[in-house]
Amino acid sequence: MNPLLEQFISESRESLQGIGEKLMQLEKEPESSELMTELFRFVHTLKGNSGLFDLPELTRVLHAGEDLMDAVRNGEVAYSPLLADRLLDAMDFVGLLCDEIDTNGSTDAKHVNNSVRLADSLRQLIVVIVPTTEGASSAVVNELPIVPEQPDPANQLPLSDIPEEISMAAYRAAVTGKPLHWLAYSPVEECFFQGDDPFYQARQTPGILWGDITARTPWPKLAELDPYCCVLDFSILSTATLEELQEYYRYVPDQVRIIPVPGSFLILPQGEPNGGPVYEDFVADALKMLHANNIAGLTHATRSMLDVSNPNLWLSAALRWLLLVIELEPDNVFVCERILLSLRTMTPPVWHELAGGCDTRINGDVNSELPHNLAQEESEPVPAMLSPEVTALIAAQREILSLPDDIAWLAGRLKSVAASLSGCLHAIGANGIIQSLGAALDEALAQRASAPLLHWLDSHFKPSVDAAPFLPQSVQPATTTQIGQSVEEVKYGRRAEDSYSGPKSIKVDQVKIDRLMNLIGEMVVAKNALPYLAGRAENVFGVRDLSREIKSQYAVINRIAEEMQDTIMQVRMMPVSFVFQRFPRLVRDTSHKLGKEVNLILEGEETEADKNIIESLGDPLVHIVRNSLDHGVEMPDVRRALGKPATGTIFIRATQEADRVVIEIRDDGKGIDPEIIKRLALEKGIIDNERLERLTDQEAVNLVFAAGFSTASVISDLSGRGVGMDVVRTAIEKVNGTLQLESEKGRGTRIRLSLPLSMAVTNVMIVESNNQLFGVPIGSVVETVRIPRADIHTIKKNQATVLRGRIVPLKPLNSLLGQHVPPRANEEDELAVLIVSLGDESVGIMVDNFRETVEIILKPMTGVLAGLSAYAGSALLGDGSVLMVLDIKEIL
Amino acid sequence: MKRILIVDDAATMRMYYRSILEGAGYQVDEAINGIEAMEKSLQEFFDLYIVDVNMPKQDGYSFLSELRSRDISQNPAMMISTEASANDRMRALVSGANLYLVKPIKPDQLLTNCRLLLGEVHE
Repeated sequence: MNPLLEQFISESRESLQGIGEKLMQLEKEPESSELMTELFRFVHTLKGNSGLFDLPELTRVLHAGEDLMDAVRNGEVAYSPLLADRLLDAMDFVGLLCDEIDTNGSTDAKHVNNSVRLADSLRQLIVVIVPTTEGASSAVVNELPIVPEQPDPANQLPLSDIPEEISMAAYRAAVTGKPLHWLAYSPVEECFFQGDDPFYQARQTPGILWGDITARTPWPKLAELDPYCCVLDFSILSTATLEELQEYYRYVPDQVRIIPVPGSFLILPQGEPNGGPVYEDFVADALKMLHANNIAGLTHATRSMLDVSNPNLWLSAALRWLLLVIELEPDNVFVCERILLSLRTMTPPVWHELAGGCDTRINGDVNSELPHNLAQEESEPVPAMLSPEVTALIAAQREILSLPDDIAWLAGRLKSVAASLSGCLHAIGANGIIQSLGAALDEALAQRASAPLLHWLDSHFKPSVDAAPFLPQSVQPATTTQIGQSVEEVKYGRRAEDSYSGPKSIKVDQVKIDRLMNLIGEMVVAKNALPYLAGRAENVFGVRDLSREIKSQYAVINRIAEEMQDTIMQVRMMPVSFVFQRFPRLVRDTSHKLGKEVNLILEGEETEADKNIIESLGDPLVHIVRNSLDHGVEMPDVRRALGKPATGTIFIRATQEADRVVIEIRDDGKGIDPEIIKRLALEKGIIDNERLERLTDQEAVNLVFAAGFSTASVISDLSGRGVGMDVVRTAIEKVNGTLQLESEKGRGTRIRLSLPLSMAVTNVMIVESNNQLFGVPIGSVVETVRIPRADIHTIKKNQATVLRGRIVPLKPLNSLLGQHVPPRANEEDELAVLIVSLGDESVGIMVDNFRETVEIILKPMTGVLAGLSAYAGSALLGDGSVLMVLDIKEIL
Repeated sequence: MKRILIVDDAATMRMYYRSILEGAGYQVDEAINGIEAMEKSLQEFFDLYIVDVNMPKQDGYSFLSELRSRDISQNPAMMISTEASANDRMRALVSGANLYLVKPIKPDQLLTNCRLLLGEVHE
């Protein structure tokens, strides 16, 4: 994945989390405009970032979210829980897409429907309250059949689409000296995301006489329609001047073609071509009258002819045009003649081929077909064709200079405009006029007014086209960049290195930290080889001095290595808030779903522990909290009936005690009834009758941690997934944690998890078995004893011994590992037995001998070896050999 | 080498601009809001500013007008925003921007405009 996308994903996750937190806080103080603004900023940033990538689904949803939050921020839409729900839904979706991008590098097209649905659900919230402003993008699509369409181009332009009355009005306007322009506006597909509203824009075109909207391509099925993609083309007939139109469309110049239309082009009679009398005589008579300049006769004849003809006929339309032309331009013989002649063929005159006689602006028409309007006019010392960027840049400077001069930083503005223009002129090779720009700036600065620069701009670049002033080399820092640079350098003395005030923390890829951790692990092991070396120097080579020196050097390396290890561990430390932060949302959603009222209190979120520990804490904690919500806290009415506050409380607190993190989860729900537990445990066969009677209440309550136990009478989709608290226990024990549960019926439940701060270093005891060495995690070792062979009894093929009055079953490690060699006894015929705890019971493992305990870095089994469940992992020993560490629970 | 200051609170955008601009041989520095941008401008010289609008602490408008009114730099500034409305554009130009561009910005567009504002002859 490219780094930019990676950065985007990681920033997005932060934003999403920020959004979640802000929404939670907003629930508590829905009036806070500060929170609202922050929330908006998160969504805004996310959306802005997503625009860099081709992620339409993501952008669509975020855009809707941004619009919604903008409306909320501006007080147009009130904040509501529904709004929060929908926004959270949408952000979950965004999170999902981010995950997908993270794994696949792209999103699946199948999300389109979801994204449309979510974006709609967000937009609905806006539209309800502010029906006019937002949401207009989708409305455009629905409203488009306002103007009927009948495409079939006559000349270059489909002028025949224009209804007769409008054509006539346009013609009338043209004759009276108004300009006529045909506007072809093709908004880009993503225009809605750029804040355009093409429908509105088109409708508000100055001097609009008529407009038409066509779809660029045939409409897809409704289900496949992307309402946020503009596929409409607008055609507009306007009487505004070219300048007015260019000004109006100045933000989308590349999407608009403006074509001057000579008035006569509109004379396109339309109607039923068949039937109706075509009187050759009429045409001949009329032509005669026309050439004789008998206008009154011609008018009369035409009227009479029109009276006897069906008004829907093509003929009638042509006659109506004729009358209009006679009325407006009685001298325009050429046009009248053409209309009359066309009556013979019943086809409209092809005006653009008849160029010469009819309108001088015909050439203009052909011309403007080519360049996309705005920038085609030529200006003298400046290159004829300016790129759209140059045009836009110059237009922007003109706009700036046209602003009122009454600001404090006018001088700055003038200089910066001149600097921009100078750069621009230089870039396009128009160096010749840079000097005059400098003069203009000087004058402007002297007068404290924009006018001289504006004047300069207008004289070098035609207004409405482009333009810009220049910078006097003499004016201080802002002039040409080189000069400015040297001045500044002297002034401030560039000391970037000294003064760099970058962020105080850096983000590091997790993989790198893990790698560092592995390296230090190897380092610790390698370091441990030194004592071996010292031993060999002394014992094998007999050099005691060297041995001593190695030992003292070892002490130094040892100290550094330990410090380094500590430091790296610190880097890996994360606050528990990493896990806690998901609970407000979880509790909120779950309690809503269950119809319960729950208040969540979090404490000690800043408590830190190793990353692995924190991560392993996530699922068990979620499980416990869900359990509390589902089984612990009662429904509000039940609670009231019991005299408790209707709102239940779940309290989660993290603290550090010595080298352990303790997490306490407490609720004030109904607690656990030991009697019910006992009965259920009996039914499920987890305990037998005999044991039942001996069970204390506390022990009974702890049975919920037994495998296969679940007290939920109805399996809910929240916690009763067929796995019970045993999963929690297993997960906690896996990281060497312990767990305690206390419950008081009717008062609530308290669960206490205690975890090591770090699991990077593991203490293991080394044992021998059949000449091999194995490690046993020290946490599971209760004690080591040597038992005389005589004290070992065989009960029903199983060996056992009695230790302090209790029967302890014995298992030879050799046979557990599939080696059929009996355990070796020492000289006194005693067998080495490792007593390990297995849940509540103790088991003795017979080994050949005990060795020392060592600190190791336990590495999990990888690759094909990962399938060997008998081993918890492996570690390197000081002499370079590999130690396999047993997973005691698995082998027993 | 021309120096450009990117002022944007979104790390992704900064990275995006930086990769384009550095690829074109510019020296790039970043600031995450107007305040930081101002600090940098006081200490260092930039040939061009690329400024986002919406940022925490100090937004792009007030950064630019401060930059201009305190005469810290009068070099060209480009403001980049998601808002395409005439109002936003006007506000940017009033506050001291020389060019107002609407996101999303394509690399070509960014580079062309930088070259123009910096007066570099483009092939």
